[in-house]
Amino acid sequence: MIRQIVRKEILENVLSLRFILSLLLTIALFAASGFVFLSRYAKQSQDYWKKTNDNLSALREQSSQLYRLAFYQQKAFRKPKPLTFCVEGFEKSLPNCFIFNVFTTELPAIEGRGNFTLPHFSDIDWVFIISLILSFVALAFTYDSICGEKEQGTLCLVLAGTIPRYKVLLGKYLAAMFTLGMPLLAGLLVSLVIVVSSKEIVISPGDWLRILTIVFWSFLYLSVFVLLGLFVSSRTAHSANSMVILLLAWVGLVILLPSSGKIISGVSSKNLTRADLERRLDETSRRVWDNHEKFGKNAASMSTDPKSPINNPPARARLVTAVTEATNQARNDHHNQLLAQTLTGRNFTSLSPTVIYQRASEVIAGTGISHCVNLYQQIKPYQTDLKEYIRSNDAEDSNSLHLIYDEEGCARHWTTISHKAVDFDTVPKFQERDLALGQSLKLAIWDIGLLVLFNLVFFTASFVSFLRYDVR
Amino acid sequence: MIWKIAKKEFLLNLMTFKFAVGTVVCVVLTAAFMPILAKDYQQRLRMYDDNVARNEAELRKVKVYKNITPTIFRPPALLSVFSEGLEKQVDDSAKIEFDKIPQMRGAAVQGNPYQAIFPVFDVSLIFKIVIGVLALLVAYDAISGEKERGTLKLILSGTARRYQVLLGKLLAGLLILVVPVTAVFIIGLIILLSFPLVDLAGSDWIRIGLMYLASLVFISVMYNVGLLFSCLTKRSAISLVLGLFLWIVLVVVVPNGSVYFAAQLRPLQPDEKLDGQIAALQQEFESEFNKSKPAMPDVIESDDGDAFGHWYPRLLNKGGMEYYQACYRLEHTLGVKYADKFWEVEQRYLNDLAKQKSLASNLSRISPISLYENVMSGLAGADITSFQSFITSVKAHRNRVVEYIRSKTDEFSATSLFTTCTREEMEQYEKGADSAVEHPSLDLRDFPRFIQKTDIVGDLRSAIPDLALLIFVNMLFFTLSFAAFTKYDAR
Repeated sequence: MIRQIVRKEILENVLSLRFILSLLLTIALFAASGFVFLSRYAKQSQDYWKKTNDNLSALREQSSQLYRLAFYQQKAFRKPKPLTFCVEGFEKSLPNCFIFNVFTTELPAIEGRGNFTLPHFSDIDWVFIISLILSFVALAFTYDSICGEKEQGTLCLVLAGTIPRYKVLLGKYLAAMFTLGMPLLAGLLVSLVIVVSSKEIVISPGDWLRILTIVFWSFLYLSVFVLLGLFVSSRTAHSANSMVILLLAWVGLVILLPSSGKIISGVSSKNLTRADLERRLDETSRRVWDNHEKFGKNAASMSTDPKSPINNPPARARLVTAVTEATNQARNDHHNQLLAQTLTGRNFTSLSPTVIYQRASEVIAGTGISHCVNLYQQIKPYQTDLKEYIRSNDAEDSNSLHLIYDEEGCARHWTTISHKAVDFDTVPKFQERDLALGQSLKLAIWDIGLLVLFNLVFFTASFVSFLRYDVR
Repeated sequence: MIWKIAKKEFLLNLMTFKFAVGTVVCVVLTAAFMPILAKDYQQRLRMYDDNVARNEAELRKVKVYKNITPTIFRPPALLSVFSEGLEKQVDDSAKIEFDKIPQMRGAAVQGNPYQAIFPVFDVSLIFKIVIGVLALLVAYDAISGEKERGTLKLILSGTARRYQVLLGKLLAGLLILVVPVTAVFIIGLIILLSFPLVDLAGSDWIRIGLMYLASLVFISVMYNVGLLFSCLTKRSAISLVLGLFLWIVLVVVVPNGSVYFAAQLRPLQPDEKLDGQIAALQQEFESEFNKSKPAMPDVIESDDGDAFGHWYPRLLNKGGMEYYQACYRLEHTLGVKYADKFWEVEQRYLNDLAKQKSLASNLSRISPISLYENVMSGLAGADITSFQSFITSVKAHRNRVVEYIRSKTDEFSATSLFTTCTREEMEQYEKGADSAVEHPSLDLRDFPRFIQKTDIVGDLRSAIPDLALLIFVNMLFFTLSFAAFTKYDAR
């Protein structure tokens, strides 16, 4: 019986104007997203490899003297991922360049100038089309599924037979999902064909698995809106009223609530500008410098002649290490506060299924703000590796003082770190690693659970409402 | 006759569910978000006051002329709660230096770069989205709904002419939609004025009045679009679907698409080219500097920290004094000359940005929503022309500062440019004594002060073309509906 209801609903939907319009709009937008992605990805990829190779060749020059390896400011860039055509995650406005040496990491920066006078619009990626357009289409298909049938007079005829109410509801739900699935899958295919047929992009099997996960995730998201439509439809008697409520709900959930994240996050904390950070760094280093006597005699003095009696390298090493640790702590705190400000704002708005959908998609695809954070976290273990490499190579040199701390002038004049050349092939090099799909899913588990919860809530609500619905 | 029809329509629409829900939603959203927006403005205003005060305090501490590098801040625009525009995207401070002319920069350099994941939120979003949808909902069944109910042929079989019916419906629709627009403005203003730091001047009230007018014009455009679809279709469900799809395209697709196409059609020069030009100029500057620089003698100095994070040599020996005098004079004269050259290179780049932005604006003018956005941000003083006028006045101020320093240090050749060390102290230092005399800071009572000008005429001039275009679009859609209605089958 359900199958017959589903078939009838699908046929009815497919022959309507709204289906044709949504099919055309969806395919056009997905095609556009494919082309936009292609035109941008090739250039981004080229830029990334050129800059990374420049960094490596400069590092090679530094390996002529071991101490220079420690002080050279390396740059790690964010690798452009092929999955940005699924989920761009605002990557073009997020920081893409991380500058660090062995001792300190700077705050993430944006390399390259963009046009800051243009509005920050997100690129047309799959998540954008699905979360905005297809959710709207889902509501457009289901707003009159119950009350429209009542107005036409066919609902009482259907229920006058032997079919139980829940089967009718289930049939309508399945039909709406199938009807939505058609433009969605058509659009996805168009986009994939455009992307894959250009020979420049290589999509690995892991990436295909991620794409599949995102497709299932999108169906879960759209099912929330279908159930919302069914729920409102089964609470009202006129389809016009149902349309009004659903439109306003859509506007609130999809457009207004995600945007409010900015002002909520801005209000919840104090100013976190660069100038503040500079001031705090100044204070911390000055505080340590003012107590320089406790690190040893003459810790604060330095002469470029290594044999001068005013030099006390171990004391100076302790002093400078203390300064470096204090400033690193301050910088780390600042960065954590910046992140916390943004993520708290986002968490506040995760009442909206759109935000939940966007966030989990970013994590699954490995793009967006989680990409930046991931890269930043990978720098510290690399710094430790490089430091260990320098220490072990330095121990072999009897000329050096074996004091590894953050002052280049001292290293040059006093040979606190060895000046010998090293083989560049043995130097650890920074490489960005992607998270495995299992790990990404583990990070996204809360969001998946939330959307499943939304689904269950709306399904129960529409079920209960339809059971008590007056069908005459 | 028109008035009778209008009155009937107005009363009919007033009592509907959709109107009640729509107005309630608008009011609730304004009441919920306006306090947050106002608090955010208050915070920015407080930060601005702090920054200005801190700058003044540093100026009072400065000891040598070379270290006078104050930062000029732009006060936040109060009306940016209504339309944020570029307020948070462009940097609102500019540093005065002798060797650099201030330019517009992006704000991400200073603030939290992660905030880029959030789209913009201001009160005009409520207008564009919520009241826009409400206008469509009121208008979609104006004609086709009456035909479905069977009352259209009854009206037209009387003495009422077709144009009277249409005009009556238009009037009624506008009157109905005036209610939520006015409610939003009044509630928003009450909440805004209840905050202590907020102070509205006369010119601000003119701007708010014009914003109200612009919002009414925009809403009537949306109403006319709905009315046009209603006059073209027989069933109101179809006109609703068509209207909503067009609305989605205008709100979501056109603004994004125009930004993308502008970036494709007028791409920016690659960064390496600009960096190369700047590096070449830097090389030129350094080679010219090194050519005329005197040889470095044996310099013994004792440094101290100064205002604005700079340092200066407190005590010098004779060789150091002469060396630094020649060096700093050369550096400053050359620096001022090269500042113009660096500025030209950067300005060419900024002009490219401006051209790309104007192409994006022109492309997005297809959508009335972008037109409305342009008018609102222009009136709020948060669009690009406001930032451009700020930078221009900072540039003029920098010229005055440079002239001031030049006159006080006798064309950059006096020792007060770089040190407080007097002749006696120098001789004593050469003998080995380290004098700890505390010199007073510079007397800057006649230092030029920066005056912030609010230019309402400039803002109006930037907003008027888009407003005129909105009114034109209004009339265009109404004429089209009129033409469609005259041939409408009313049976």
